Amino acid sequence: MSEIIEGIYQAINLILTLNPEMLEITLRTIYISLSSTLFATIIGVPLGGLINFKTFKGKRGLVNIIQTLYSVPTVLVGLFVFLLISRAGILGELNLLFTPTGMILCQTILIMPILVGFTINALSGVEKNIEDLAMSLGANQFQTIYTIMKEAKYALMGAVILGFGRAISEVGVALLIGGNIRGFTRVITTTISLETSRGNIALSVALGIILMLIALVINLILNIIQEK
Amino acid sequence: MYLLEIKDLNKKYGNKKILENINLKVKTGINLGLIGPTGCGKTTLLRLIDLLENPTSGKIIFDGINTSYSKKDKLQIRRRMGMVFQKPLTFKGTVFHNVAYGLKIRGENKDQVQEKVYRNLELLGMDEYAERNAASLSGGETQRMALARVLVTEPDLLLLDEPTSNLDPLSREKIEELILQLKKENKTTIIMTTHDLIQGQQLSDEIVILNHKIFQIGKPEEIFRKPQNQFVADFVGVKNVIQGQAILTSEKLTMIKKGNITLYSSEKGNGKVFASIRPEDISLSLEKLDNSSLNKLKGNVIQIEDVGAIIHLKVKVDSEIFTVYMTRKSFLDMNISIGETLWLEFKATGVHLFQ
Ligand SMILES: Nc1ncnc2c1ncn2[C@@H]1O[C@H](COP(=O)(O)OP(=O)(O)OP(=O)(O)O)[C@@H](O)[C@H]1O
Ligand SMILES: [Mg+2]
Repeated sequence: MSEIIEGIYQAINLILTLNPEMLEITLRTIYISLSSTLFATIIGVPLGGLINFKTFKGKRGLVNIIQTLYSVPTVLVGLFVFLLISRAGILGELNLLFTPTGMILCQTILIMPILVGFTINALSGVEKNIEDLAMSLGANQFQTIYTIMKEAKYALMGAVILGFGRAISEVGVALLIGGNIRGFTRVITTTISLETSRGNIALSVALGIILMLIALVINLILNIIQEK
Repeated sequence: MYLLEIKDLNKKYGNKKILENINLKVKTGINLGLIGPTGCGKTTLLRLIDLLENPTSGKIIFDGINTSYSKKDKLQIRRRMGMVFQKPLTFKGTVFHNVAYGLKIRGENKDQVQEKVYRNLELLGMDEYAERNAASLSGGETQRMALARVLVTEPDLLLLDEPTSNLDPLSREKIEELILQLKKENKTTIIMTTHDLIQGQQLSDEIVILNHKIFQIGKPEEIFRKPQNQFVADFVGVKNVIQGQAILTSEKLTMIKKGNITLYSSEKGNGKVFASIRPEDISLSLEKLDNSSLNKLKGNVIQIEDVGAIIHLKVKVDSEIFTVYMTRKSFLDMNISIGETLWLEFKATGVHLFQ
């Protein structure tokens, strides 16, 4: 118990004094997870839209596979990307292993199924009639799709929040691909796992609180955007 | 000049023929009433005209342009039409956003959008609703908003799918007035579906009686006086006429007495009147239901006439005999036989009065 209380105290202390290492790790965490969420959204939402609006053979199967991938273990994705970008891998030339860029790449892949799958869900949840209504009022194909996206705005935001949540909270990819290099690829989750194994429980609790705060603030911001 | 021509149009869903061999010419500026029983293909025909659906075969020619051509042509043609759907639909957002939609996607400038939206909202008595969340409107208000949303785009062809069914009398009246006003202005060609013959007669220059095929096209009085075939005769046959004494009980309600029967009508009447209730407006139940219908009569089934998908029942209430229709399915579900006691229910708006 005392460790938790100490952790809270330490967290307040770290935040109030703007501890430079803390700040640096926090900013890097935000940078990496926001970037991967951004990329996954830019690719995943249109892809989900495409899958939703097109009819093709094997659509159901594809959607099933995507949904299965929601819960793929992060270490597995990490391992896959590791093989891809390690020296011997196809992308070995790019020297992405143990870099923030590598972590972003890997987290983007990790949360892509969530973005694609939840986009499909969100869009298919919009009444078919809305499409007719938009078309009937003179919308062209692009405008119709845009309208349906807007109708599904809340559900789409939900997908983004969920994807971000998975990105910021995972540790497997961050360790395997990032390597937890101090001052370079160290993020909150990897620091927590390191400090805990060193017996530095209070610091871990402090970091955990900061992680929660980040998630809270990002969610609040997204909620405010949503209200608009 | 014809604004719309439909040639040898057929529509199937799967193997089910919904529309067969439809040929129709609609003159510019007229009000065409499309009347037929439920499930006869009215909505399907409007959706085909609005190019939301493709015909199985046949042609739709709008203002001389064959509509089966490219997507781009279709868009241009669709932008000259407007449809109010049977089921009220709203975009998320305010009433203003909804009504402005058609103008915005046409790229009209802000001032113009503002001006047109408010003008049309005013036309429908809804200018005060502009900033309301559209989802919070009542059914009648939603329908009026839907009409405003279409009217702002000033369509050459206005398609109205049962614009007043399920509406309160006030909203219904507002919409009917507006349709009559549009008719007077003679700019907009209107095709309106209804299963209400009286409404069709009041609002249309020409009526089409539809039941998968077209059974008759003509002026309202022709349809009523000279039905061309059994179907039309049956369909327009005025049934359930009761002669009684009317007393105006309030602004909006007339009470009609005949023997032990008391009816309520939302139309005005006094003294000796005829009241008619369309069989389609009467619903049946085995027990008295607790709903808002003002008219609830208890009677006995004295005749069952099986005419295919629809069952015609004759129900004796006091000394009057009512004709009521029901689908075969609900007939079987309710397991009705001769002598059975049933409750007939209909709204005050379903009781038409005439001298
Ligand atoms: N997309 C569809 N797929 C299959 N059947 C359909 C489809 N749309 C309509 N139908 C069927 O076509 C028939 C005609 O439907 P439609 O909606 O045109 O009837 P309607 O005359 O408008 O009826 P109502 O007065 O009840 O509105 C119905 O039997 C309906 O079930
Ligand atoms: Mg219909």
